[in-house]
Amino acid sequence: MKIDRPPEDPAGIVVLPCSGLDKEAGSASRALSLLLQAEGASLVCPVLYQRSPKRYEKDLGKGRLIVIDGCKTGCASKLATERGLKIGKKLTITEAAKAHEVKPGKDPHLGESLENLLPSLAEELLAARPPETPASIETETSFGNSVTYREFSVDKFVFKVPESGYFFNENDCWARVEGGRSRIGVSDYVQQSASDMLFFEPPTIGAELSIFDEAGSLETSKTALDIISPVSGKVVAINQEVVEAPELINEDPYERGWAVELELADFDEDRELLMDAPAYYDYLKKKAEKEHRERYGA
Amino acid sequence: MGVPRAKIPWCPTIDYEKCDFCMECDEFCPHGVFERRDDEEKKLVVAHPENCVVFCRACGKTCGPDALSFPDKKETTALIKRLREEGKDED
Repeated sequence: MKIDRPPEDPAGIVVLPCSGLDKEAGSASRALSLLLQAEGASLVCPVLYQRSPKRYEKDLGKGRLIVIDGCKTGCASKLATERGLKIGKKLTITEAAKAHEVKPGKDPHLGESLENLLPSLAEELLAARPPETPASIETETSFGNSVTYREFSVDKFVFKVPESGYFFNENDCWARVEGGRSRIGVSDYVQQSASDMLFFEPPTIGAELSIFDEAGSLETSKTALDIISPVSGKVVAINQEVVEAPELINEDPYERGWAVELELADFDEDRELLMDAPAYYDYLKKKAEKEHRERYGA
Repeated sequence: MGVPRAKIPWCPTIDYEKCDFCMECDEFCPHGVFERRDDEEKKLVVAHPENCVVFCRACGKTCGPDALSFPDKKETTALIKRLREEGKDED
């Protein structure tokens, strides 16, 4: 299935870049945002935005926000998440450059090879949906059975774990297996520790993942984290509801907040390295209590 | 994972040629893997590798100068499976 949508109107795009003075990747972030502005997008100056957020209230309310970080320090995305902005798309220059075998330097001046890359990055960012990323290959498996939960408390926090039917890795990611497919997501513990989910960057449909590979990443008001896949297989669906509204993970981490669906490669083999729901309950309880003791000394 | 944590060599390695001691990774990591050494040339060290969550690479995502690297994931998975098998043989 392909999603046919016209390219997004650049006038509805708002770009928050890195300030662009620390190194070459920063300069590229700034230059890329200017290319997008030439197409009609609005720009948010990160320095002025910190100083006078009200100045950009109107612009930020009118369209999809694209955040462009120079490097993985992620100043622009941190600024966005600190201000609770909903990120529509994120790009990190160093990562994008690496994919094109270009290595940004320490000198803040923009070099030719990185500069030549920018028009194609601008084009990618302006595409409403990359055509090679459909929402799903096909979905026949039903994951509709109701889930019952066990809970435990640590101080004022209550953590929820399904009673059965789920498998977990030690990275607090779950797999719910039905037939030859599995949905995966993050546990209630992750959503509570990481706080408000602001952005979900999904993996590519059709990608073949091994167990413990990254199956997308999440940006929250406190941190950034990867979904570490508890199973191996082919990505066959992305939860578009979570792409549009990542806060679903906070509201319902084990059911409506699933992230990715995979066609399983060898679940019997994967399962040997996973905990079932009761084992994860015990593991998480110990972990949460230990963290609480270390943090509060109680 | 059925294998003692001490037997799994998973933790970040700091490339001191690249590290600028911004401490973003240390601020990020909730597990106390890193330790600051204010009076030494290497102002940040991987002091507690055993605290690192196996297959977690999240601190690497915070590293602007890209100074953190991790072991090969496939090799680590294969090692864990091998150790599990050996453990079964010993039982």
